[in-house]
Formats: sequence, C-alpha cells, structure tokens
Amino acid sequence: MMDASIILTFLIFALPLVGFPFVIGIGFIRKNYSMYLGTALIGVSFIIAAYVFFAYTLKGVTVQYSFNWLPGLPAVIPLGVYGDHLSMIMVLMVSFVSFLIILFSVGYMKEDPNRHVFFGEMVLFAASMLGLVLSSSLLMIFIFWELVGLMSYTLIGFWYYKPNAASAAKKAFIVTRVGDVFFIAGIGAAILYSSGSALSVTGLASIHLVWQKTIVSLLLFGGAIGKSAQFPLHVWIPDAMEGPTTVSALIHAATMVTAGVYLVARTYTIFTPVSLGVVLYIGVITIILSGLIGIVVNDIKRILAYSTISQIGYMVAALGLGLGATSIGLSIYQLEAHAFFKALLFLAAGSILHAILNVRDINKMGGLWKKMPITVTGMFIGALALSGFPFTAGFFSKDSIISASFGHSLFVWALLAIGGFLTSLYSFRMFFRVAVGKPRSDAAEHAHESGLIMLIPIGILAAFALIFGLFQGGFYSFLGGSPASLTSLDIIPVVLMLGGLGIGYYAYGRESSIPKRVAQGARDAYLFVKNKFYIDTLFTNVIAERAVLGLSAATDGFERRVLGGLINLSGDVFENSGSFLRKIQTGFAREYAMIIIIGLILALLLLRILLFAGVIH
Amino acid sequence: MFQLSYLLLLLTIYMAVSIGVRGRYAKYFVVLSGITIFFFVVLNNMTMSNFEYGSLSILTLSFQLNFVSSILLSLVAFIGIFIPLRFRSSTGFFIMLQFLMFSLTGLFTTRDFIVFYIFWEMVLIPSFFVIGIWGGKNKNYAAMKFFIYTHIGSVFMLLGIFTMYFAEGASNFSMATLIPGMSSMPQTYQSFVIFGFLFAFLIKMPSVPLHSWVPDAYVEAPYEGTVFISALLSKMGAFGLLIIFTPIYLSSSFAGGSAVPIILIVLGIFSLIYSALVALYQNDMKQMMSYTSIGHMSFITLAVGGFLYLMNSNPLASQLLYYGAVFQLLSHGIIIALIFSLIGTMENSTGTRNIASLGGLARKLPALSFLILASFLASIAIPGFSGFVGEISILLGAYAVLKYYLIFVLIGVVLTASYHVFALQKTIFGPYNEYLGDITSRRADLYSSIFPLALVFLLGIYPALIFHIFNIHVLQFLGGIH
Repeated sequence: MMDASIILTFLIFALPLVGFPFVIGIGFIRKNYSMYLGTALIGVSFIIAAYVFFAYTLKGVTVQYSFNWLPGLPAVIPLGVYGDHLSMIMVLMVSFVSFLIILFSVGYMKEDPNRHVFFGEMVLFAASMLGLVLSSSLLMIFIFWELVGLMSYTLIGFWYYKPNAASAAKKAFIVTRVGDVFFIAGIGAAILYSSGSALSVTGLASIHLVWQKTIVSLLLFGGAIGKSAQFPLHVWIPDAMEGPTTVSALIHAATMVTAGVYLVARTYTIFTPVSLGVVLYIGVITIILSGLIGIVVNDIKRILAYSTISQIGYMVAALGLGLGATSIGLSIYQLEAHAFFKALLFLAAGSILHAILNVRDINKMGGLWKKMPITVTGMFIGALALSGFPFTAGFFSKDSIISASFGHSLFVWALLAIGGFLTSLYSFRMFFRVAVGKPRSDAAEHAHESGLIMLIPIGILAAFALIFGLFQGGFYSFLGGSPASLTSLDIIPVVLMLGGLGIGYYAYGRESSIPKRVAQGARDAYLFVKNKFYIDTLFTNVIAERAVLGLSAATDGFERRVLGGLINLSGDVFENSGSFLRKIQTGFAREYAMIIIIGLILALLLLRILLFAGVIH
Repeated sequence: MFQLSYLLLLLTIYMAVSIGVRGRYAKYFVVLSGITIFFFVVLNNMTMSNFEYGSLSILTLSFQLNFVSSILLSLVAFIGIFIPLRFRSSTGFFIMLQFLMFSLTGLFTTRDFIVFYIFWEMVLIPSFFVIGIWGGKNKNYAAMKFFIYTHIGSVFMLLGIFTMYFAEGASNFSMATLIPGMSSMPQTYQSFVIFGFLFAFLIKMPSVPLHSWVPDAYVEAPYEGTVFISALLSKMGAFGLLIIFTPIYLSSSFAGGSAVPIILIVLGIFSLIYSALVALYQNDMKQMMSYTSIGHMSFITLAVGGFLYLMNSNPLASQLLYYGAVFQLLSHGIIIALIFSLIGTMENSTGTRNIASLGGLARKLPALSFLILASFLASIAIPGFSGFVGEISILLGAYAVLKYYLIFVLIGVVLTASYHVFALQKTIFGPYNEYLGDITSRRADLYSSIFPLALVFLLGIYPALIFHIFNIHVLQFLGGIH
C-alpha cells in the first residue's frame, strides 16, 4: 500500500515532469505565463521536498518504494523512489537552487522570444535531476542521467542559431555520451555479478567478490567522469558556456555536473581500494589541471567553468580518500556549498553580462563595483567562498577535505593545498579584473544594476555562501560521518589561499605588467597551459577529425569502391557472359544440330573422365 | 472466434474488391487491412494460438500466432495505417501495399516451410515494383540490385529447405516435422541448412557485409516505399532469425557450440560500427538514415547471437537479450518510419536532403525541427523513447556474453550518437541557410507524424504495454519456441 510519504516523494519530481509540457503549451497563449508556471512548479517541488525532509527524513524514516518496470519479464527491473539521508539532502539543495535560478531566469530571459521553450526545458531538467537523486535503482538513475544530459544538450544549444552554441551542444552530448556508455556497461556488470539484485541501490552489497566490485565501480565511475567533467572528459564544460548563463548556473555548476559525484556516493559500498585510488588521483589531476587553465582564460564564464571542474575535483578526491561515510559527508558538503557559491557566481556573472551586452572577456570589463554594487558584492562573496576564505562556506567544505587528506598521504595533501592556492588566484584574478580599475570598454562604461527579481536570488545565495558553514557539524553527522577536527596544520591551506588572494591583487587588482612579463618569461609553459594542455586538440583535431573521420572516409570508400564494385562486377560478368552466349543463338537449324553434337561429345567425355577418376561407378 | 484463415481470406477479398473498383478506394482498403490485422492480433491474444487446416498433399496449412508474430503483425498494421495517413500516393502504390501486407501476414504466421518460402518471395514483388516504378533517378539499377540480391539469399534458403526434406525423408514440409528432425541428418547437411537460412536472413536483416542492396533500395525508393521497406522488410530477416533460425539451430547437433553464435555476435558488432562509420561520412540524409537502419538491426543480430551463446547458463541475460531483440523490432519499425517520413517532409519543404545545403531549419520550420529532433533522439535511444528499451535491454544482457569486448558495441553506440548529433547540428541548428528562402512545411504531414511519435513515447515510458496487450510472458514464449 502506498504511504503518503511515498506519494509525496514521487510528487517531488513527478510534478514538474508531468508539468513541463503544460509550461511550454501555456506559452503559446502568453509567453510570460510559462515563466510563472515553471517557477511555481519548481517552487512547489521545493516545498514538498522540504516537507518530506522535515516530516520523514529527520525522523529517521527512509522512504522506499519500487515496482517492476517490465512485469512480463521474470527479471525484476525495479523503478521507484529511495529517499534516505543522502538523497533527501541532495533533493533539498537541488530543488532550492533550481527554484532560485529559475526565479532569476524570469528576469534574465524576459525578452527572449522562445522563453516558453526555455522554461519548459528548465522544468524538465529540474524534474529529471530530482528524479535522478531519488531513484531507487541503477537503471532509473541512468534513465534520468540521460534525460539531464539531453536537457543539457538542448539548453546549451538554446540559442541554436549561434554556430558556437550548436557546436558546443554537440560536443557536450558526444563527450558525456562516452561516459554514459561506461555507465551502461557498469549496470550490465552489476546485473551479471549479482544475478540482478544489484540493480536496486539497496542491493549493491550483493556483489561479493572484490574484483567484481572493482570492475563495476570503475565502470560506474567512468560514467561519473563524463557527467562530472573530470579529467580527461572535462573538455565539454568550457564550451557549454555558450548557453544562457542561467543554464550554466543550474546545470553546469550546481546540479547536473555533480550527478557523477552523487552516483559515486550512492554506490560507495562497492568501491574497493583499487577503484578508490583511481577516483582519488583522477580528482587530484583534475584539480591541478583545471586550476592552472583557470588562471590564463579570459572569458568570465569559462573561468567559472574551469573553477567548477576543479571544485568537483575536490568532491571526487574526497570520495577517493576512502573514509567511508566521512568521505561521503565531506564530498556532499563540498557539493552543496559549491552549489550555493558557484550558482551565486554564475548568477552574478549573468547579471553582469545582462548589463554589458554579453561581452564575456574580462579584459573588457573593470570598474563594475561602482556601477552595479549589489551584483558585484555578490560576486565578491562568491569569490571569497570559492577560494575558501576563513568562515565562508568554501572554507569549511574545502579545508576539511584538505585536512582529511593528510591522513592519506602527504603528496595528495600537498596537491590539494596547492589546488586551493590556484583556486584563490584565479577567483581573485577574475574578481579584480571585473570589479576594480577603470572600465575597459564602452559596454562596461554604461553598465547598470539589474532588476530586483535577479538580485533577490543573488542575495539569498550570497547569504548561504556566508552562513552555510554553520551547518557543517550537523551535516556530517547527518550523513553518518565524523571527520577529524581542524589542527594547527590546517593553517597552511589558509596561508596559501591568502597568498593567492594577495598575488591576485598585486598582479590584477591594479595597473601592473606582471602577468604579461610572466607570460613572456615562461612562454612555453604559458602556451602549454593556454592551449589547455592540448587535451582539446587531442580530442577534437586528432581523435575526432583525423582518426574517426579518416576511418569513416576509408570505410565509405571501401563501401563504394570495393563492396559496391564487387557487386557490380559480378553483375557485369553475368551480363557479359549472356551477351557472349547469345551469339550461338543464330536461328539456323544446322548450327543448332552442330552444337547438340558437340555438347553430346563433351558430355560423354565428361562421363568417361568421371568414371576414370572413380567419382561415379 | 476470428481465425487466421479468415484473416488471410479477408485480406484477399479486400484486395480483390480494391482492384475490382479500379483501385479507387485503395487507400481506404489499406487502412481497413491494417485495422483488421490489428484487431485480429488483439482478439487472439492467447498464448501461441495454433491453427491447423489440414494439408494439400505435402503442403500443410498450419499457422501460428506467437509473441513475435503478434508484434510484427501489429507493426504491419501500424504501417498500413500510417502510410495512407501520411502520404498521398497513386492507387497503384496502395494496391501494392495491400499485397505486401497480405504477404507479410502470411509470412509471419505460417508454420510450413514451402508456404513460408512462397510468401517470402511474394514480398519481393510489390517492393520491386514500388522501387522500379516510383523510384528516383537510379531506380532501375536499385530495383534490379534489390531483387537479385535478396533472391540469391532465398535460393539458398530453398536449398536448405529441400535438404531438410529429403535428408530427413519427411512426408511434408511442416516446420513441426522438419525442425525437430534436424539432428537426424549428417553434419554436413546440417551445416548447409544452417548456412542457407542464415545467409537468407542476414541479407534481409541486413547485416554487413551482405547489406549492399539497402542504401540503393532505400534511397531510390519513393519515401512511402522507403518507409515500408525499412520498417517491414528488414523485419523479415529478424523474424527469420528469431522464429525460424533459432529453433533450427537449437535442434541441430551444433546446439550448445559457440561457432555460430560468435559469428552472429561478430557480425552484429561489425555491422553496428561499420554502418555508423559509413553514415558519419554521408551527405545525403536519406542515405545516412539507411545506414541507421542497418545499425538498429545489428542490435538484433547481436542479441540473437548472444542468446544462442548463453543458452541456459544465464537465464537473466538471455531474457534481457531476447526481450530486447523483440522490443527492438517494434521500436525500430516505428522510429525508422517516422524518420523517413520526416525527411520526406523536409525534402518537400526545402527541395533538398543534402546536409550541406541545409542549416538552421529550427528558425523557419520549428515544428518540423522539433519532430526531427525527437525522432533522432529516439533513434539514439534516449530514455523516454521506445528505442531506449530495446537497446538498453540488449546492452545490459550483452555484458554477460561479451564482458570487456562490450567496448566495441559501446564504441558503436557512441559513433551512432555522434553522427545523429552531427546531422542535427548541420541541419536544424546553426545559422539559417538563407539560400533556402522562405519555406513552409505541409501541416497535414506534421500532424500525421504525431501518431508514430506518440507510439514511440508510449512504448518508451511504459514498455510493459505490449505485454498487457498480448498477455504473454516472454519466458512462457521462450519455453514454447520449438
């Protein structure tokens, strides 16, 4: 029998899922109605999520319900909801951030002619993301996993007439698809090694052997790498910035890209030491690489994109530390803190871009603090939280991870701490280029503050970015973890972070030729970083354009020339032999008689030969 | 009860009346045939209905409505309703279509090898004429190639049938007597029979490298012809593999071996990757989509191979594979019909189907672009569309067979997604190609495309629907396949 809690939990994602066609449909009557309906749907979802959270999850009730997707099959393919502490705290964050961002979009997209489609897609995205988090089986996670990917595809390409947007959407789809197929293989492996019972998230423990766990977990992590943009499949996010900024805020910062982290946390029981090592080092590599790239990029949204990649690297690395529930706590806390401050940064960036006609180059900004004080203050808070300034959300989330990694190895600890330094350097480089100095373009000269509906979400998110640290202890124990408290050693990441801030100010907060001189002094290294370590080049130019297209051209040539040629050749042979044999059809009876006799002789000869050879007796 | 003999009789009567009134109402008779077939299938939703009508000397008149034929007959009914709804063709075409539906109904239900062969050949006739009469520039070449190519396959099948008949010393051609007798023959004969059937079915599937007739036939046929050839004719091969070949193989003394299953698996994977690579290079949308069709069908080859490889060693994976293959039959039929009809609409509106001359269609034709986007997404198996159910079942089951070789299938899946997305980027997204001028699309075409799209959605969200309609359990069916 379905309990009220189950129905409510279903409604959290089913409401927007069913509602999204109406959001688009009502737009054909009046476009603004879709904005209101879409916002209302997500708002209601958030309220239900909050109710379920406080009425059930906090009381220790795990909402759980599954039904069989294919009842005709003896194999049970469960679909349903699973609301435990982990998923409910994610749902709360996802619905809340989605609501704020969609509220911001009401102001941001109000002049777009296709805004009804935009809001419909945003609502479907939010529904799929909520569904992903609440799924009770791997297959259902995968279904929503694909749907959020699809919505990411359509929303990146929302301004489809821009060639860059169309191309970025394609790239995002294909690169994440590479990850997705590993996820499929992972589900297949989970089914095989557990006779099907590991499909359900509660049944993962039924995979017993270590090597089987390693295979399944690594394959699932392959999916996570694609979706969460970890090295080497991180290449799609920076391009994805071609979409509307609210899309970047919601999908490519706060929610969808963290789905991979959630997947690993959800299936944490099957991660063995081997796979955890892979997870850890992928995370660490990603932090350092993307942090370095973030310092040399000039596009404000791409800086944020690389920063997102790097911050997700911390979440992944936290999981890779292998501390059980503590790892999950560290990672999910970083995930949620990041969702708040990165959504804040993106919305602030969106507000700025809205004001300066979508010029995204930070070299063309400057002096905006005076022109749009509230927005840029929001960005300042975001930058502080991102770089982990003491007592902001980022400080509690990130420094706890760095601190916890000390127990693992000094090497990892050092890299994570350096990552913190890079983070604060690129954040404040961006902030100082945007906020202080003189406006460096006409557009920046004439910037003005955005409307109230855009400032409210910024304000709320800024508040969260500042005070989210208060919840840290409760958060960890809620997820069953107990990280060690901070020690005197943890002063070092803070010093590094402040160092990054200082260098950021010294080099970018005032007129200075230092960046230029550094770039010229270490020219090779600079170019290596500037070209994103040639990973994009490898994927796009070498693999996609040379290898795959080349192979495709060769296959096509084989298809046309060799295969088609052979078939036409065999056709020609029969046709030509026909025209050759036609010549004996002369119409003269005497010649036919001649041929009959020749034929008879040949037949008799053949018979003799066969008799000699012993084929017939 | 409404029995099978009446169904074939009714279809014949429809055809006679339709010709009798000089094809004036042929279009409506096609729809009527479609509805009749569908009602017949739904009314006979018991398990494995068998209909015996005695025999004519060595021919037995025995028919069976099993799980696969129920689904395929529904697909025939769908095409019979969709084509008249969507296309305004000549009466001759609709009479051909009626004839085709009649032949396919016989083909999918008969349990006698000779009758099967007769229907198998009868299907060629309407397809040949549709390509040859209403086809494009290269129609004669394509029609001849199609006819001869598939005919060569049928010849080997016929030889296989006769081998079974004579070597077993059977008294008739009924499948019920010939198939179980397989193992009584010498091994060379058995392998020849297996080869003959496999050859015929793989040509029809089509599976690389026996696929050369496909691009020509699909591209040269008129759109309505492409729709039924791609949706229905390829199903003959798949039906053969699932319902004729599998039992033959299982009752031969090769059963349990791994050679034939591995051949099927390798061919399936090879077809998938090969078709995706070739499609990636095509500039003609219709040609590209003909390779898509090959790619979709290769999943079925793979699934049958995997099913035969696993046998009873992993019942869960076998079920997933078999279920996926059957579901893929239905879903591919609907999706490919939708895709070709939409490309038809696109060519009518823009005057071209060349990818390089299109671009940014979303601006001028938003509804058509949405439909194309949806059908492409269905084709690359995005959840929510029926393509997903079949493909994911096969992929999940295939892991048990292939282990790390699954990577090749996954490469194929990624390549397939790539060329779809690539085509979307070049045609409906990007800046509008101003050379196309001010274009519109026929509204009726768009409305009629909603019907298959709705089916694709419905099956994708609630795949259990086909079990409810046909009230059949796969396992029960698998048990009774012989």
